[in-house]
Amino acid sequence: MKAPKPRSLRAHRFIAIVVTSITVLLSPLAGQAKDHIDLQFWDMIWGGPEYIDAGKALVAQFNQEHPDITVNYRSVPWTNWYQTFVTAIGSGTAPDVSTGAGYQAVQLYDQGAILPIDDVISQWKASGKLDDFLPNMIDTLKYDNHYVALPWAIDIRVWYYRKDLFEQAKLQPPTNWQEFKAAAQALTNSKADQYGMVTAGDTLGEHLLLALMFNNGGGLFTADRKLDLISDRNMEALKFVGELVQAQSVYPASAGYSGEDAVSAFSQGKGALFLNVPGLSGRLPKIADKIGLVQPLVGPHGDKGTIFWVNNIMVYKQGKHPAETKIFLEWWSENQKDLWTKGHVTQLPTRKSFAADPYFQDNAETKFILDNYLPVAKTTATHATGIFPKLNEVEGEGALQSLSQSLLQGKDVDSSVKTAADRLKSILED
Amino acid sequence: MPVKVAQRSPAASPAVAQTLRPPFQPLPYLLLLPSLALIFIIEFYPFINGVSFSFHKGTLLGTGAFVGLGNYLRLFNSPTFYNSLWFSFIFAFFNVLVSYVLGLALALFLNLDFPGRGFCRVALLVPWIVPAVVSIVSWKWLIADRGGLVNIILDSFGVGPIYFLSQSGWAMVAVIVIKIWRSFPFMMLSLLAALQVIDKSLYEAGRIDGATNWQLFRHITLPHIKNISIIQAILMIIWSINDFETPFLLTQGGPSSATENLILLSYRYTFGRNDVGLGSAVAILTLIILLVLSTIMMRQQGKST
Repeated sequence: MKAPKPRSLRAHRFIAIVVTSITVLLSPLAGQAKDHIDLQFWDMIWGGPEYIDAGKALVAQFNQEHPDITVNYRSVPWTNWYQTFVTAIGSGTAPDVSTGAGYQAVQLYDQGAILPIDDVISQWKASGKLDDFLPNMIDTLKYDNHYVALPWAIDIRVWYYRKDLFEQAKLQPPTNWQEFKAAAQALTNSKADQYGMVTAGDTLGEHLLLALMFNNGGGLFTADRKLDLISDRNMEALKFVGELVQAQSVYPASAGYSGEDAVSAFSQGKGALFLNVPGLSGRLPKIADKIGLVQPLVGPHGDKGTIFWVNNIMVYKQGKHPAETKIFLEWWSENQKDLWTKGHVTQLPTRKSFAADPYFQDNAETKFILDNYLPVAKTTATHATGIFPKLNEVEGEGALQSLSQSLLQGKDVDSSVKTAADRLKSILED
Repeated sequence: MPVKVAQRSPAASPAVAQTLRPPFQPLPYLLLLPSLALIFIIEFYPFINGVSFSFHKGTLLGTGAFVGLGNYLRLFNSPTFYNSLWFSFIFAFFNVLVSYVLGLALALFLNLDFPGRGFCRVALLVPWIVPAVVSIVSWKWLIADRGGLVNIILDSFGVGPIYFLSQSGWAMVAVIVIKIWRSFPFMMLSLLAALQVIDKSLYEAGRIDGATNWQLFRHITLPHIKNISIIQAILMIIWSINDFETPFLLTQGGPSSATENLILLSYRYTFGRNDVGLGSAVAILTLIILLVLSTIMMRQQGKST
C-alpha cells in the first residue's frame, strides 16, 4: 500500500492548480488592461439637468464606438470653477480634457497646463473639416501661434424687450441709442414699479458695459494689448449708461441684483429692456409670447456690436494619453449636436452644420441671433491682436462689475471710470 | 504616650530632593506627538506657507519669484486696501459696540425672574444657531427689493422704497445690522452667565445703603463683568474682521466695493486676480492687526485684575 501523500504536498499542489487556472483565465483581461485607455472628461454645466443627461449619453455612445477607450464623464459646476481647475492642476490631478470658459484655455496654456492642438487643426484644415466652423471661431482660440482649444459654443449678449409694455405705450422697439433712451424714459413709471431698463450688478452689469462699448466701436485694449478704457468711444458708451440712470430709466435695484434677480424682474415687467443670454423666452415660458428681440442697436457713429465668447474644449498636458484624448476631442466636436437638441444648451453652436439644423433654424429667437447679432459680435480682446491670458483676470477680478455698480448708482462717470482704469492697469501690469 | 511623628528636616539635601523628584517619563510627550503633528500640519504649516507666499509673486499654480516686501508696499500704496481696512474697522466697531450693548441689555432682562424666561432665552439664541447661509440668504430676500418685507413695512409708514443692497451707504448699514443680529446672542449668553455668578447679597447691601439702580449697575454689575466683557470684545473683533460669509453672501463686497472687507479683498486678489502673493499679504496684515488689538486689550484686562 502506497503511503498517503503528506497534507502539505497536497495543499501545495492544489494552490498551484488554482493559481495557474486564475492566471490563464485572467490573461485575456491582462492583455486588455494593457491596451485599454481611461480618460477623464470634465464638462462644465452648460444647461439644466437634461444637459448633463445628454452629455453622459453622448459619452456612453463614444465608449460604445471605441471599445479601447473609456471616457469618464464628470459634471463641473460653475461656482468656483477657476479654483476647481487650478487646484486639480496644482495637485497633478487635472483631467485629460475639459470644456471651459472663453479664456480659460489661454490662461492655463500660459501657465503650462494646456496641450496645443495644432496637429488636429492642421489635419482638419487639410481634410476640409475646418470649413464647418463659423468664421473666426478657430482663430479666436489662437494664442502665441498655437491653437490652444477647439471652439464648441458661443455665448453672446443680446437685447430683449417686453412686447406687451411697448404695445401699451404704443412704441416701436428701438433701433439706435437715441430711440433706446427715449423708449426707456417713456416706459418708466416708478409708481407702478416699472422702468425702461433692468440689469444686474454682477457679471451681467459688466457685460452691459462691454456690449455698449463694442456697440459704439470702442474696446478695452489697443492693438498692442495696452489698456484703452478711457477712449472717446468707450466714455461715450459709459456716459450713455450714466444718462439712463440720471433719467431714472433704470430699475433702481439693478446695482445690487444678480443675473437671476434681473431675469425675475424682467419677467415681472419691472424693466422693459434687458440685455441677456440667448434662450430667455425658453427660460420664461409663461411670458414667452411677450418677449421680443431688439435689432442690434446702431451707435451714435453708426457702429453695431455686442460681446460674445467662444467657449471651448481643451486638452491638458498632465493627461497620459494625448493621442486617444484627441480622438475623443474630435469625435465630441463632430457629434455634440445632441447637447442642443436633447440637452437644450442655450448657447449657440460654432459649426455651420449644427446651425443649419432645423432645431436652430426653426427657432425664431435663435435664428434671429445667428443672423443679426453674431455677425457683429466681438470678444473682450477687441482691437488687440487676439485673445491673451490676462483677459480671464480682467473679467474675473471684478473691476468692471464694480464700475457697472458705480454707474448704476448714479455716481460720477469720470471718477468711476478712472478708478476702474487704475484697477485694470494694475491687473495688466502684474 | 505621645506618638513620635517622623519629621522631615527643614531643608532636605539636594540628593534627597533628587531622589524624591519623579524620574523623567518620556511616554506623555510621545503621546502628545501625534496631536502636535496634527496641529503643525493643519495650522503652522499652512501659516508658514502663507507667510512665504506673501513674499513671492505667485499664482494658484506656482509660488513665483521672490519679491520681498513688494506685495506689502503695493498694498500700502493701494486705495483699495485702505477702503477695505476702513470698512473692516467700522464693521467691527459697530458690530462689537451694538451687539455688546444689546446683548447686555437682554442679559440683564433675562437675569430677572419672569414667566416664560426659559422660552425667551432659547428664542433669543436663534440668530446664532441658524446656519449663516440660511439666515443671510433669508435676510437678502427681506431687503433686496421693493417687494421685500422690510420695504413693504416701510411703505406702510410712507417711507421708501430703500434698495438696501443697491446703494453703497445702505449696503454698509445692511451688512452691519445683519452681522449685529447674528452676533448679539453670543454676547447675551456669555454676559448672562457672568451676571448669574454675581453675589446677590452685594445688591442687597447696596440697596440698604440707598444706591440707585444705576449706581448698582455701575459699581457692582460692571466691575464683575469687566473681564468677560473684554474677552468677548476681543473675540467679536476677531470674528468681525474675519467675517467672510456676511458680506460675501449679501453683496459680494459691493456695490462698488463699499462692503469689501480685508478678507473679501484677500479672496478677490487670490481667486479673482490669481495673485496669491497679494492675497496672502492682505491675510498676514489682517493677522498682525488682530494680534496688536488683542494684545492691547489683553493688557487692559491684565491691568484691571
